[in-house]
Amino acid sequence: MRPLDPRLLRQARAARSYVLLTTALGAVSAALVVVQAFAIAFALGPVVVATSPGGDGAVDQAAVARWLAVLAGAAVGRAAVAWAQERFGRRAATAVVADLREQVVGHAVALGPRPPAGAAPSDVATLATRGLNDLEPYLVRFLPQLLLTALVTPATVLVVLGLDWVSALIAVVTLPLVPFFMWLIGTMTAGTSERRLATVERLGSQVLDLIAGLPTLRAFGRELGPAARVRTLGESSRRATMGTLRVAFLSGAVLELLTTLCVAIIAVGVGLRLVHGGMELVPAIAVLVLAPEIFLPLRRVGSEFHASTDGLAATRRAFAVLDLPVTDGSTDGERTSGAAPTATGLAGGTLVLDDVTVRAPGRDVDAPAHLSARIALGSGEPGGGRVVALRGPSGAGKSTLVLLLLGLLRPDHGSISPTLPWDQVAWVPQRPAIGPGTVRDVVTDGREVPSETLAAAAATTGLDAVLADLPGGWDAPVGLGGVGLSVGQRQRLALARALVGAADRPVVVLDEPTAHLDARGEQVVLDTVRTWRDAGRTVLVVAHRASLLGLADQVVDVEAREVARA
Amino acid sequence: MPETLRRRVAQDPLLQLAPLLEIRWGRVVRAVGLGTATLVCAIGLAAAAAWLIARASQMPPVLTLSVATVGVRAFGTGRAFFRYLERLASHGVALRGMAALRANLYDRLARGGADVVALRRGDLLARVGNDVDDVGDVVVRALVPGGVAVVAGLGSVLLVGIFLPAAGAVLLACLLVTGVLSPWLASRASASVEQRGAEARGEVAARTLELLEDGQQLRVAGRLAQRTDGLRAADRRLAAATDDGARVSGLSAALEAGAQTLAVLGCLLLGIPAALAGDLAATELAVVVLTPLAVFEVTTALPAAAVQLRRSRAAARRLVDLLPDDAPPHREPEAAPAPDGTLLETAGLTAGWSSPKPVVEDVDLTLRPGTVVALAGASGVGKTTLLLTAAGLLGPVAGQVRGEGLFVAEDGHVFGTTVLENLRVARADVTEADAREALAAVGLTGWLDGLPDGLATGLGTGGTDVSGGERRRLLVARALLAPHRVLLVDEPAEHLDAATADALVEMLATLARGTGRAVVVASHRLTPLGAAAEVLLLGHDRGAPDRAAQVVARGPHAALLRDVPEYRWAAEREAASAPASAGP
Repeated sequence: MRPLDPRLLRQARAARSYVLLTTALGAVSAALVVVQAFAIAFALGPVVVATSPGGDGAVDQAAVARWLAVLAGAAVGRAAVAWAQERFGRRAATAVVADLREQVVGHAVALGPRPPAGAAPSDVATLATRGLNDLEPYLVRFLPQLLLTALVTPATVLVVLGLDWVSALIAVVTLPLVPFFMWLIGTMTAGTSERRLATVERLGSQVLDLIAGLPTLRAFGRELGPAARVRTLGESSRRATMGTLRVAFLSGAVLELLTTLCVAIIAVGVGLRLVHGGMELVPAIAVLVLAPEIFLPLRRVGSEFHASTDGLAATRRAFAVLDLPVTDGSTDGERTSGAAPTATGLAGGTLVLDDVTVRAPGRDVDAPAHLSARIALGSGEPGGGRVVALRGPSGAGKSTLVLLLLGLLRPDHGSISPTLPWDQVAWVPQRPAIGPGTVRDVVTDGREVPSETLAAAAATTGLDAVLADLPGGWDAPVGLGGVGLSVGQRQRLALARALVGAADRPVVVLDEPTAHLDARGEQVVLDTVRTWRDAGRTVLVVAHRASLLGLADQVVDVEAREVARA
Repeated sequence: MPETLRRRVAQDPLLQLAPLLEIRWGRVVRAVGLGTATLVCAIGLAAAAAWLIARASQMPPVLTLSVATVGVRAFGTGRAFFRYLERLASHGVALRGMAALRANLYDRLARGGADVVALRRGDLLARVGNDVDDVGDVVVRALVPGGVAVVAGLGSVLLVGIFLPAAGAVLLACLLVTGVLSPWLASRASASVEQRGAEARGEVAARTLELLEDGQQLRVAGRLAQRTDGLRAADRRLAAATDDGARVSGLSAALEAGAQTLAVLGCLLLGIPAALAGDLAATELAVVVLTPLAVFEVTTALPAAAVQLRRSRAAARRLVDLLPDDAPPHREPEAAPAPDGTLLETAGLTAGWSSPKPVVEDVDLTLRPGTVVALAGASGVGKTTLLLTAAGLLGPVAGQVRGEGLFVAEDGHVFGTTVLENLRVARADVTEADAREALAAVGLTGWLDGLPDGLATGLGTGGTDVSGGERRRLLVARALLAPHRVLLVDEPAEHLDAATADALVEMLATLARGTGRAVVVASHRLTPLGAAAEVLLLGHDRGAPDRAAQVVARGPHAALLRDVPEYRWAAEREAASAPASAGP
């Protein structure tokens, strides 16, 4: 696994400036580490020499004081670097996450209503929220240490080389051993630990599944049965996890052993050279202080590595989504202009469906199967409207047909021409999106609409009854996704919006408008559909119920057909 | 004061949960001991190396250094060894704790009497897994590092203090900054980010979900750009909250980074005059000055520990809230059997949740073998509440329930196991033949044949997806296999098209008559209710809409159609819109 995905730098602008900042801070902290080591050595060395048996007891106090001042400066500098890294690093990390989130969400939407495996809304939602949030610890904790390893480690090795080449040699020999041994342990244990990790996850989810199913188990009076099973599952989960950890911690242990042993060997070597007079005390102290700093970033990289894997995995998944090609060709630009017929062309026109077939995802069924029809559209003049019902049993592909007519989906076989241009369609799906804002905002969509028009629309769609129940009426806030509204209320809101907005959208598409409504709600839908027809618009409606079918000028029967398994 | 303190400690959710973790303190002490040994090695390495080079610079006979050289190498080796053992020991404690906590949670929830309210909140349950992990993490990330920091930190203060007490005091002060002040700031920062960011994070999540789920209609309606801007704005608010937290956590990081160098500086400032005055030997000065460079490793884990402690406490509080009260009353052993062949009987039953206002009042119902009763009424009128109470899953507010029934929930759980095991939830000895028969009865034979491994196909999480309609029928099939003689079925028709839904209700009725069971069906669809012998229409008194719902009319479907105008109106609407084949 790459510790830093180059695509992250290419795709997220915020990531580039973050890496630049962190690199600059890393360089400063490398310099500070060296300055601190020299300040300690020059302050301590002469005093130790002077006060040793046989020493003259005289020290250049001014020089020592200067070095102490330098040390104080280093303390302030290190604090400042740590502050800046935390202060600006977090901000940059959130910016990177937000940037990637927007890209992933935007791309997933552009993939259309039937995205390929791995880009289903629920998967992408998990990725875009929890998954990408895991990127933050990676950016805030792991990446800086990685850059420090690249900066501080070589810098300190070079300085040590200037002071005592033997110590530098020991460090240079040890350094490559660290990744080598970690790689060795990693490859030797990769298979087993992945298998074990899978076991652990399975066991964990089984316990949660049992807890989630408790109400059901209790209804059957069987809630006490699985208690022992939960305990044994927990016990086997623990044993499996410990097995994984015994292996996983091994690489950490090797890292720690090599680095501390190396520091110990350097210390002993320096000591022996001092005894034989091959070295001065001041550089010896500097080497001793610097030796652990050579390995410190590497050790921190090791300990943050596990925190980083989730973030890296999330990045990989994010780029997997971003790499999916947008195949249905229905980019927004193409759909609203160009080949699509103009408003005048659409009125009185005909949609021709020829042998339209779509394979249902994950089933050996074509829904719809080999559908051919000519759908005549209304004239656009009052009295010239039409109601076209799409009829068929559950799973026949009625909603799929709506997606096809809107050009959101391409048929696997056959053709539709033309598809409906989006700027001329008001689409009310089964679960209409109700944005944040007041009822008025939602219905008018931010445009100026005369209050008589609003009142009339509310009366037709039954929204007036909803408004009577809402505190604040038209100005009642409806939350994101229409929180606080029932499905029926949302539907009426969406119908009113389509009614008010339909003036410049000659085609209205309703998907199962009565599915969640009681008898009274259904009447409202019928009234609304009639109003549209009277105004000369075309209403394409997916209908189960006879009441709506009775209103239709044309009924298109949609059928599914099983296909022989290959 | 001590009284309030004691009460606060007693109310600490982590301590309240502690018994459920079944922690064996011996294991914790062992982990702390190993962690301390690790740090003794690290600090010992620094101290011994400092002494070694200071002594070596005096050019003594090499033999006098041999103890120090061996010590340096031993400390260098021992550290990795002890660290490995400590990590295993502390994770072992944590994992044992989590396993015990899960098992005890399950136990307490399963035995928790009639409190189904908490269990029906799916979001809470979904968090249990993460919360248990968070509580377990407290051992690895907070308890053990905290214990190690106290022992090893005081040990190194003593070591330096023996040579030069003032330097020991300086070291202690700096350790308090990195070990107490800095973690406190870090915890405060993360608390503020989490609290202030929670709303923004929720909005980011909600907007992300909206864009993904409604993205296609937003594209068509031309509102996609506007909603994307909304997401961006929410992300900016989240960034602002993070930024405010980073001000405080930046201070924490700065203190931590500066304190080590300051400690060395303090030791130099105190040690040099002492050495020049002859109070401190040259070798001792080296030890006093260079040891602090290694000491601060003891506190590096503490800011994260403080953050974890706060998170774990919040997680523990959620778990404590989920638990039923202590000494939960187990469900009453079967309520007194109803007399003379009656399977289930309610008398003057008033049902409701814990809130003061009952939901449904004064229901009398007698179920004999073959009885089929329907509960009708608008959504939210209290049909589910009444069924839960009749099944004994909810204590009655007033009145009596005699006999026993099986509540078949609308949102019953499909377990992440095979089709057959899911059906065996009803009864452990369901055979494959029984299972096929029950699935056939609900019209799932075709579905079963389409499954890759038949009855052995895995369902639920990680298994084959089950559509809404298939799920409903699977739940009914499972209920049919249960030994219970009374089935209380909530909205069996939800997520099914009208014809399938009506057929399912009629199937339930036929089955009840054929097998001597009794069935109560709650349904907001009226068309299939002709299959029931009696329909109870629940509703609110027009004059007092705030009162609990009551049975406003009861009788056979046909009689209600004739006598109750609103019932007739609703049924006619349904009939008018249903496919021609449906209806009695």
